[in-house]
Amino acid sequence: MNLHYVVKELYYRWRRTIVSVVGLSVGIALFIILNVLSLAYREAARAPLKEIGADITVQRPGNVPQELTGAVFPCSAVTIRREEITKIEKIPGIVGTGKAVLVWVFDPHQAWVVLGIEGENSIGPAILRAFVTEGRFLENGKSEALIEVGYAKQFGIKVGSNISVAGRSFPIVGLVDASRAPKIAVANLYLPLKDAQSIALSSKPLQSVSPFAQGDVNLLFIKAEQKQIMPVAAALKNILGSKVVIATPESFLKLLGNLFALSDKFTLAAALIAMLIAILIAFKTMAGNISERSKEIGVMKAVGWTQQNVTMQFLMESILQCFAAGILGIFIAVIVVYGLSFLTVNIPIPWEMSPKPHFLPGGGEQLYKTLRLPIYIPLKLAAFALLLSVFTGGITGALLSRHISKIKPSEVLRHE
Amino acid sequence: MNNADILMGVNLSKKYDNLEVVKNLSLNVKEGEFVSLVGKSGCGKTTLLSLLSGLEKPTKGQVTLNSKDITGASEEELALFRREYVGFIFQSFNLIPTLTAWENVALPLFPIKMASVQRHKRAIELLEQMEMGHRIEHLPATLSGGEKQRVAIARALANHPKIVFADEPTGNLDSATGDTIMAILNALHKNQGMTMLMVTHEPNLAKTADRVIRMQDGEVIK
Repeated sequence: MNLHYVVKELYYRWRRTIVSVVGLSVGIALFIILNVLSLAYREAARAPLKEIGADITVQRPGNVPQELTGAVFPCSAVTIRREEITKIEKIPGIVGTGKAVLVWVFDPHQAWVVLGIEGENSIGPAILRAFVTEGRFLENGKSEALIEVGYAKQFGIKVGSNISVAGRSFPIVGLVDASRAPKIAVANLYLPLKDAQSIALSSKPLQSVSPFAQGDVNLLFIKAEQKQIMPVAAALKNILGSKVVIATPESFLKLLGNLFALSDKFTLAAALIAMLIAILIAFKTMAGNISERSKEIGVMKAVGWTQQNVTMQFLMESILQCFAAGILGIFIAVIVVYGLSFLTVNIPIPWEMSPKPHFLPGGGEQLYKTLRLPIYIPLKLAAFALLLSVFTGGITGALLSRHISKIKPSEVLRHE
Repeated sequence: MNNADILMGVNLSKKYDNLEVVKNLSLNVKEGEFVSLVGKSGCGKTTLLSLLSGLEKPTKGQVTLNSKDITGASEEELALFRREYVGFIFQSFNLIPTLTAWENVALPLFPIKMASVQRHKRAIELLEQMEMGHRIEHLPATLSGGEKQRVAIARALANHPKIVFADEPTGNLDSATGDTIMAILNALHKNQGMTMLMVTHEPNLAKTADRVIRMQDGEVIK
């Protein structure tokens, strides 16, 4: 094999080289783009859960409160019992859990959406720590409250003042900016989990609809091993019953309704078809090249090139072209992906996960998590695409070696 | 001239389907001899050349080149054999269009393990011998017919062959250029003792050889 000769051939027959390289590079670029689009939508679907440090959220729907007085559970999130939580924590693949209690409190002059949170747990709403705009976050063991900025402004509540919720008094220690906070598990008022549990325990209207005991909760946040999310979700249904609402990246993906997001098989099939077309282009161009150069191959054989020498020469031409196509394909994909990165995705938040009562102003509005499409080309995918293109070159060259072997050195004696 | 036979073809026949192109033909070429094979178009002389040079296998008979029986050799063995002992000059030059003059000359040396500097040196040496030293970096498309054939002759000599097979070497040239090429071939034979077997349909060119073999309908007639 003579690399100098290979390069000269590719340069001299530049039209053919360009057709082959561009054809294959478009296939490679499509292969990359389709795959990264699918990855990007999957990544986007993870965002609503990721921002509260979880992979799965669990809530159990129940009965509608009979009357809206005192503390009640929303019908979308009723009691998850302590024994059930103990069982859940033993499911293989679960890395950790976060617990919360969401209560609607209808006091005579004010309604509150109260969320009881574990202040020290990184899984769940304690992630709000990052969105405190004034004052401080909740401290362990203290009965105190955080209030949402907009709500505080609406009712003139300030850091340092005391509020009364369900007949209990809490000092306000900080303000939370809900517009920057996660869309899941937001509230007007954030209390330590124990205080929210205590409110639920002592509420007769709540107990009458959904009995609640010490250590029970009504929201669970689960962090799981990535590959175990679906088996964990199935195990959760076994424990909590088929009506339980389990949010996973997969369920958000379905809500997105995007073709790339919905079907792995579609993406794979489309990417493979793109590659196949590209391979056919490469094969056809190389076959044409060999047929056009049959006399040249005859000369090479006549002057002492063996079948292996000639095959290696053409194989190298094919591999080099496909390598160049791979590089160009990656370059095209990088440009297209850069353009796509400006797209925004709106991920609808299911109504069950919306904490606000639907009958209050703005409560019926569809919530969205809006984000820039998290699209990028993983190094591994780029390397795989490059390898695939080189492999295509190798396969094409190897398949064509049969054509080369059929060309006899005596071909060269055929007079033009 | 040495008396030893460098090339022997014994009872050679070649059939393509039912058409027998070479018919039970025998001939020998001695080392340092210049033999011309003359005959009308289609008489089988080019086929005979391809059998004797190992480009094709005979249907029947035996070819011995440089004391080696090449009749039963595989394609691979024949290629290696040609690389070592044989040089070719073709009517239509058959230069590779993408390679420069010196690269075309070095073509038989590409598959050989050899420093590229050595390869380049050998090609330049031969091109200078062919008075083509000023055209080493030119592509075939920019060369005249005579120049192309000089490059082709240089290529035929690149591997220090024992015998050169020339198939109508002046067939695509005007008579003046053809004479020049014949002068080069004669000089190679006379000055360097090169063994040559030339196929031609022109009796005048054939005459310049040491020995003339006439062919008709696949057989030697004289």
